[in-house]
Amino acid sequence: MTEEPLKSNLRFWTDRPLAFKGLVVIALPLAILLSALFSLYLASSAEAEAEDDVRRAFAIQRDTYQVHALLAEAAAGVRGFVLTREERFLEPYKRAETDLPATMNRLDIAIEDEVVRGHFEYLQEVVATKRDGLSSTVALAGAPNTISEISLENALLDNRQSLDAVRMAVEEVQRTEAIVLERRQILVDNVRTGFLGLTAVSAVIGLLGSIAGVYLFSTGIVRRVSRLEENAGKLARGERLRELPEESDEIGRLAKRLTRASALLRAREEDLRASEERFRLVIERVRDYGIFTLDKDGVVTSWNLGAKRIKGWSADEILNQHFSRFYPEETRDFLPAQMLERARAEGAAEDEGWRVRKDGTRFWANVVITALRDEEGELQGFAKVTRDMSERRRSEEALRLAREEAVAANRAKTQFLSRTSHELRTPLNAILGFGQLLEISEEEFESHHREAIGQIAKAGRHLLSLINDLLDISSIEAGATDVEIEPVPVAVFLQDLYALAAPIVASAGLRFDLDIPTEDCSVLADRRRATQVVLNLIGNAAKYNTSGCSVRLGAALWDDTVAFIVEDDGPGIAPADVPRLFTAFDRLGQQDRAKIEGTGLGLALSKSLAESMDGGLTYEAANKGARFCFTVRKSAAGAGAPNNAAGEATA
Amino acid sequence: MTKRLVDSDEILSCRILAIDDEEANIALLRNVLEREGYSQIECLTDPREALATYMEFEPDIVLLDLMMPEVDGFQLLESFGRHDAADEFRPILVLTADTTVQARRRALALGAKDFVSKPFDVIEVGLRISNLLETRILYSRLKP
Repeated sequence: MTEEPLKSNLRFWTDRPLAFKGLVVIALPLAILLSALFSLYLASSAEAEAEDDVRRAFAIQRDTYQVHALLAEAAAGVRGFVLTREERFLEPYKRAETDLPATMNRLDIAIEDEVVRGHFEYLQEVVATKRDGLSSTVALAGAPNTISEISLENALLDNRQSLDAVRMAVEEVQRTEAIVLERRQILVDNVRTGFLGLTAVSAVIGLLGSIAGVYLFSTGIVRRVSRLEENAGKLARGERLRELPEESDEIGRLAKRLTRASALLRAREEDLRASEERFRLVIERVRDYGIFTLDKDGVVTSWNLGAKRIKGWSADEILNQHFSRFYPEETRDFLPAQMLERARAEGAAEDEGWRVRKDGTRFWANVVITALRDEEGELQGFAKVTRDMSERRRSEEALRLAREEAVAANRAKTQFLSRTSHELRTPLNAILGFGQLLEISEEEFESHHREAIGQIAKAGRHLLSLINDLLDISSIEAGATDVEIEPVPVAVFLQDLYALAAPIVASAGLRFDLDIPTEDCSVLADRRRATQVVLNLIGNAAKYNTSGCSVRLGAALWDDTVAFIVEDDGPGIAPADVPRLFTAFDRLGQQDRAKIEGTGLGLALSKSLAESMDGGLTYEAANKGARFCFTVRKSAAGAGAPNNAAGEATA
Repeated sequence: MTKRLVDSDEILSCRILAIDDEEANIALLRNVLEREGYSQIECLTDPREALATYMEFEPDIVLLDLMMPEVDGFQLLESFGRHDAADEFRPILVLTADTTVQARRRALALGAKDFVSKPFDVIEVGLRISNLLETRILYSRLKP
């Protein structure tokens, strides 16, 4: 029950602002100390007053004695004078007459007590009587004519009596004064004792007050600050904070902030730990990559599932082992150290090569070692990622073999083609050569022989062009011949073609028109093949234009392609035949065109050629006749036709 | 006939060496050459004898096939080149059924003076031979 109010009081105290607490802690003992000082002052002033009283009492005593002594001496002197009549005996009397008033006056001032004053007033009366008596005695003795021994005797007697009265009055004054003094003394003693007690009590209270102040200071500030300091230390170490009661002064608020900071920090730390944990779990569960960490010296410090799967060791077996045991014997002595050194120097080191599994088998691995450094750049260890590339190596090997085989097959095919070409041409050479010789000397033969010779030569030539086209197509399709793509300026190319084809067109008895585009540019093409394509198209146009009168060569510039256009005003191609236009050996309308020589391979070959240089060949039905478009890519370099080349071509 | 700087008799008296493993082609060449009027014709179907014949016969022109068994035309071109003096102009006309650009380039680079694809035009071959011989005669006239 008593604890509750104490607690609430303490609570009230701790809730006050620090300035208030400081004021209280300093002012409280100071006030008590001041009051002690004040009581000490009161005690000492009372003592001083008492001393004054004593001094005064002594002065009164002394003065009353003096009064008595002066009067006694004066009386003795007067008596002597009366007896001797010598003036020198009057000296004490005269001194008393001069000193007494002053002494009495001093006493009058000094005496304060009423009772004493009553006695003093009586003393004054008896002193006055005594003086009167003395003065009358002196007067009697001094008068030479009236010598009355009896009156003198009486006067002396009276004097003695009055002196006794004075003595008694003095004694009375002294006695009462002594009583007053004693009373005073007691009073002063009491006061002094009281004040001393008060001082002692004040001192004790002051002491207690300062102890209380210190206690309050320590509970209100020091203890709490030290607890706060302790909490700050815990915060720095990342430990849980000690719970502090909620208080609303500055320290309380600081504590509250500290708690909030700690909570925030803890939440953040929790997040980080959770994410680290997630990351660790992810890494641990990665199956396709062996991910593990090494310390600075290369000793394994962590191990994931992928590492176990790839290398065979479980985590228990491999932790704290040096990672060089993953390397085969021939590289074990130097490669691990080299890898670590490279990773240390360059941040990471990558390598591809043989590694060893737990069971001693080898696998082809891709390895990346990364140096792990802390914020200060101090090396903490290494992370190592290992991939089992055996499968990929196998497939790469298979791919390489397949590619080599394909290349070899292609080479074989090319060889076969060139060999076939050679083997077919060689006998044809003799056939055609002798045929030509026979033709030259035809006048030696009869007409039906001449005709036979002509047929042989014609069939031989046809066979030759068949072989040529066929081999061309095959070699293009086999990729056996190289394509040499270069920028070809359109205008010059057209002029060259015109010059080449003009005799063919002319021999067919047709007009040959050339349209060179006003804007020049270059195309990316194999010049020889492009020439072959266009010449073939012109040849066809000349050959099949049996009804028209002209062949036109031109070009159309499109966004990123250029179309070389060959058109004629002949009969054209029947729409039904168009789909088969580019099929080998499909000579359209063979029966009608028997008169026209051809292998049926020309357009197929041209299309292959066009496609081999990333171009195309299309047929469009023109208003009249046929129109073929040979498209090739435009060169980004733009027109690059030097003037002299153009000049030569037209010359 | 063609306008010439050299007397045709001088041309026709030149020695011609034809090397081809194919009998029919050799026969054709001999026929063409004889028809032209050449008198000194040496024909070979075995290329292994070529170098010996070349050195012995000292032809003014060689008609050479490229694709032959044992020793091919390229090897012979090299051998002839090594044998000849540096200032000798002894034309070699390659006649081959190998129509590839590579073969053409290689043959010309090895010293062949001309290249004709088989099957050839007999008249053209005759003209090329006489042209080359004319050049050789003119060249030898210039030599001190």
